[in-house]
Amino acid sequence: MSGEEQSVVRCVGVSRIYEQAAAPVRALRNLDFEMARGDFVSLVGPSGSGKSTLLNLIGGLDQATEGEVFVDGVALTGLNQTRLADMRLHKIGFVFQSYNLIPVLSARENVEFILQLQGVRSAVRTQRTSEALAALAIEALAHRRPAELSGGQQQRVAIARAIVTNPVLLLADEPSANLDSAATGELLKLLRRLNDERGLSILTATHDPLVMRYAKRRMRLRDGAIVKDSALSPGTATDPMP
Amino acid sequence: MPLKLLLQLSGRNILRHRRRNGMMLAALVVAVASVVLMNGLIRGMQRDMADMAVDNLVGHVKVLAPGYRDDPGVQRSFALAADWRSALAPGLLEGWAARLQVPAVVISERGTRGVRLVGVHPVREAVSFLGDVEMAGEFLQDAGDGRILVGRALAEQLETAVGRRLVIITEGVDGRSREAGFRIAGLYDADGTALERAFVFTGVEALQKMLGTEAVTELSMRLHEESQLPQVKAALAASFAGLDVLDWRELQPQAAAMFVYADAAIFIWFLVMMGALAFGLMNTLITSIMERVRELGMLRALGLRGRSVVAQVVLESSLLMLIGVAAGVVLGWLLAQALGEGIDLSLWAEGVESFGMRAVLRPILLVEDVVLIAALSLVLGVAASLYPAWRVVRIKPLEALGR
Repeated sequence: MSGEEQSVVRCVGVSRIYEQAAAPVRALRNLDFEMARGDFVSLVGPSGSGKSTLLNLIGGLDQATEGEVFVDGVALTGLNQTRLADMRLHKIGFVFQSYNLIPVLSARENVEFILQLQGVRSAVRTQRTSEALAALAIEALAHRRPAELSGGQQQRVAIARAIVTNPVLLLADEPSANLDSAATGELLKLLRRLNDERGLSILTATHDPLVMRYAKRRMRLRDGAIVKDSALSPGTATDPMP
Repeated sequence: MPLKLLLQLSGRNILRHRRRNGMMLAALVVAVASVVLMNGLIRGMQRDMADMAVDNLVGHVKVLAPGYRDDPGVQRSFALAADWRSALAPGLLEGWAARLQVPAVVISERGTRGVRLVGVHPVREAVSFLGDVEMAGEFLQDAGDGRILVGRALAEQLETAVGRRLVIITEGVDGRSREAGFRIAGLYDADGTALERAFVFTGVEALQKMLGTEAVTELSMRLHEESQLPQVKAALAASFAGLDVLDWRELQPQAAAMFVYADAAIFIWFLVMMGALAFGLMNTLITSIMERVRELGMLRALGLRGRSVVAQVVLESSLLMLIGVAAGVVLGWLLAQALGEGIDLSLWAEGVESFGMRAVLRPILLVEDVVLIAALSLVLGVAASLYPAWRVVRIKPLEALGR
């Protein structure tokens, strides 16, 4: 297996420059970054440090101005919007800060929806949706619509939607931003369990110190550059599992 | 994106804003119903114009002597061969009538009027309005009947009645005046006073005798199907060489023109109503879509393709249109049924007659018209949704998520 295949994410000399009227803004500066399969990486840093920009580039939602981004060995640079959409659909799971569930669909439908987009057969879809809901312990909420769920419950549905496709990578941008500390704790235990038990690669961007403690690797960004990259030993995390 | 999923999302998004979409639907239903009803009324008017033009002694096609239309007189007549029908394929004609029609002056004790004196064979006049006209008194007995039928309106002008005598002066075939007294057999009540004032009828053989001729001035035919007109005209033109063979559109150009204008009126009404509605629909869709930019951005971030977003917006619009058009067509049909007895326009009888219409206007709904209205409305709905769809697809997923 080549080194490229060992890495779920690889960024080589990545820069992202936003053209502004006053002056160009360099959100990322010649950044090199590699993430192994099964890793749980937490991007930390102050606002404007480039965390979300990096997450967006890796998620194929934005294009690097310079450098190359590889996800699962595929170079995202140069892919057209349709190929990028397919890439996101089949290889990446997203968890957003504000859940972003479809309000007119129930929890189950929100999870199943992504499999419908993939064209998965009905019977398989039903089974995988049920498994994802069970993994997140939200089977009882399956028929509720987002407006009938708490923030924590909505975020669980969002995670179920993100993992139901068995993605190679889960991207979570400030997943705990709208949750109280109890819900955040539960969310992080879930993410860590998915990482430990399923080997799901997780990359999060966060301000939350609690989130940082549950990751296996912490990468600090400042002014668009990595200033510290620390692998955390299992003992470093503060009681990641119940 | 699977169609089932698209339908599910579109349907629920429509239900999401019940009041807004309900009002849009109500406008749609009213507009479509009005187009359907107006179409029915205009088609009814067209049918009236065509029927009246054909009924009004014209028929679908007529054979005339050259120059008769410019100077209608007994000199411009022609002899009708006994076997003239052999030129036509059997089964084409619903009926025919040979007539001798000349200008005349009719005199009563109270007044004088210029009229068209028409010699007819009573049995053959089933092809014209005389066939089902209301009659006070008696109808003519046969072609040799020397009495006359006078219109009710003319009788009022002449202050005469059934059984009274009128003097008629016209020109004979030798160019000399002919004058004779005719007893009134009956007063006919046509669907319009213009006809009643214009025509006086007598037996064709009686009139031929008075004018000193055995010829007729016109041969009028009514067809089972108007679509057979070109075929019949061609056969008659070959058979009656040297005579004019003219269809009702050529003989009644005003009615034919009104027929065309009525088609244009339907189209204009559709464009005005549905065009205004398309902008309303577009506005509603833009509002609805722009409220969901973030949601649509999220869907695209998850992997929904741009064309699927377009499909979703178009489908939402199409569903709204489909429901609105179906309900509008039903409402239009119900309104047309409610007006089944017709709209009484007798208060404006003279104006109505000048357009070649009857005093009672009945809507006529044609399946092909309703299908066309429904199809054009749906096309319009799809077209109106393309701009909102284009606007939302132009927004990149990342930008949409940031809103």
